[in-house]
Amino acid sequence: MNFQFIIYFNFLLFLMGVFGIFYSKNIISVFISYQFIIISAAINFLSFSQFLYQRSLWGGIFIIFGITSIYFLMFCIVCYIYLKLDPLDKEMLYREFRLLKITRSDWRGEDNI
Amino acid sequence: MNFVLFINEKINPLQSIIVLSAAIFISSFFVISKSKAVKRFLIIVTSISLILAFYLNIYSFISMGNFSNFLLSFESAQMIEVSIILFSAVNLLFFISIYKVDSNHFIKILILFLFSTICAVFVVVARNFLLIFTSLTIFILTIFQLVTALNLKTNKARPYILRYFLRPTLTVILIFFGFSLFYGATDFKDFNQILQSEYISNPLIVLGLIIFGIAIYLYFFLFPFQGPYMKLIKRGEFSSNAIIWFLYFPVGIFMFLKLNDLFLCLFRENSLYMSIFFIVITFICIFAGSIGAFKTNSIRRIISFLFLFFIGIFILNISMFSTGIISKSLVDWFNIANVLLVLFSFMPIYSIFGVIEKSTGSDSIDNIRGFGRSNIYICINLIIIFLSWAGFAYHIKPFIKYFNGANFLKIGTTNIILLLAIVIAFIFLMANMFRIIDQFFRKPLTGVVEKIIFPKFFYIYVTFFTLVILAAAILGLLEILNIDIGIINFKITQVYF
Repeated sequence: MNFQFIIYFNFLLFLMGVFGIFYSKNIISVFISYQFIIISAAINFLSFSQFLYQRSLWGGIFIIFGITSIYFLMFCIVCYIYLKLDPLDKEMLYREFRLLKITRSDWRGEDNI
Repeated sequence: MNFVLFINEKINPLQSIIVLSAAIFISSFFVISKSKAVKRFLIIVTSISLILAFYLNIYSFISMGNFSNFLLSFESAQMIEVSIILFSAVNLLFFISIYKVDSNHFIKILILFLFSTICAVFVVVARNFLLIFTSLTIFILTIFQLVTALNLKTNKARPYILRYFLRPTLTVILIFFGFSLFYGATDFKDFNQILQSEYISNPLIVLGLIIFGIAIYLYFFLFPFQGPYMKLIKRGEFSSNAIIWFLYFPVGIFMFLKLNDLFLCLFRENSLYMSIFFIVITFICIFAGSIGAFKTNSIRRIISFLFLFFIGIFILNISMFSTGIISKSLVDWFNIANVLLVLFSFMPIYSIFGVIEKSTGSDSIDNIRGFGRSNIYICINLIIIFLSWAGFAYHIKPFIKYFNGANFLKIGTTNIILLLAIVIAFIFLMANMFRIIDQFFRKPLTGVVEKIIFPKFFYIYVTFFTLVILAAAILGLLEILNIDIGIINFKITQVYF
């Protein structure tokens, strides 16, 4: 495998993840975008370990611990969605969800409940 | 005896963690209990363990000095940071005990709270990349579980808890990616090693640092991304808001301080563009915070906006460094002083406004009208605590020192713009402060001044903070006036580490 190709491919995956976070309107798409960034980081670790550091164990260890902890956090959030949210709120998450959405009440004025 | 001493040496920075773990161990035997006596017993056990951990943290540092191995680093800065976290945890225990003691899940909440405190301590003392990353992720996880547990009965907050915690999740994912880039540049596993090596200017390190910067910016919900934070604070339960303010945000600042040296090295090389960029961000963060607070009538939103204002000051410190006003060590000290100022002022303010909201039923600013006439003692304490925000003026002093020493032609436009920003931000902050104080002495809308009854320990709690603030203010004033009273060995206006 060509090292340079892996790096470019990786960066493409990362950009796809970032693009997904900004433009997706569905929470599942946001989670998929997160996965893109995680996979991109994991490939980075593995490829650097393989090509630069004579198959050093450090990359593998970081991937195991890092991915386990991140997935544990994401798993808790997904569980929370399915166990605790009302059906109406869930519907909103699948249709009109924007992670970095800005509304007027966030800046000034009142936020009526 | 030698064996005990040997163990004591080996676990030097972890003594506080072991004490907290013991409290978790004791609490875990009573998880399903609903008895009030057991709850009181566990509150006492937890508070004793936190105080003991606070003492051991300082004692172990004084008796054994610095400690570092490949996983942990425990120096004076870490000792101060862990002390701040433990002090904050004692206060949070107070908030949780007041608002959640009747809950069926109180003991579970207590255990989760102790877990999050331990994770926070690990984030601070961690040195190795892997330990920093895993402890930060698990810290966010425990905070998420704690906030959800505290908001079990507040239906309106649920969607916003989700939106809130998706942001720190993105932060840890970006940090994971940043560490992978660091690994590509060098196989060092420590920020200090990178700082002292030639790899500091490696493009992968620079890209990793930019990604870290974005991640930390998202972590703090700074402008314009503050939506879920504002909405959660408006709807959330009192104790969960306290957890977010007094545990989640300080740990973020301490995480930032770990990266501070690397960031500052990067800024020094590209000084002009970086300083312009940071001055713009500082402007946005500080003004949006103070204007947002000025334009709302909800006390919760005023406090949240002002909290964001104070959190945004760590960017102001970077701007001041990039324009050459302050040194590297002063940046760290300014950040720590800012965290202390925020904790010591917001904790009593929030506790008092919490009681007012409970007794009046809404968080409108009209509810505090006439408060100064009915509860004179608490009102005087609050005014002293509010006046501590004038400590923000210490940001102006380095400018005066710099302008006195520099040639007029060398001062530069960026420095003057930054000084102007600080002065205007200070004016806005004071305007916000006097707006609240003004409400205390206005006539209530109903025309009748009603006394709000506070529990007795609230008086002790608020008085403690007022006395600390007064002591710091008097010592500072004496030092400024060059009067030496010889009580303390260090100068409060010149503490560097």
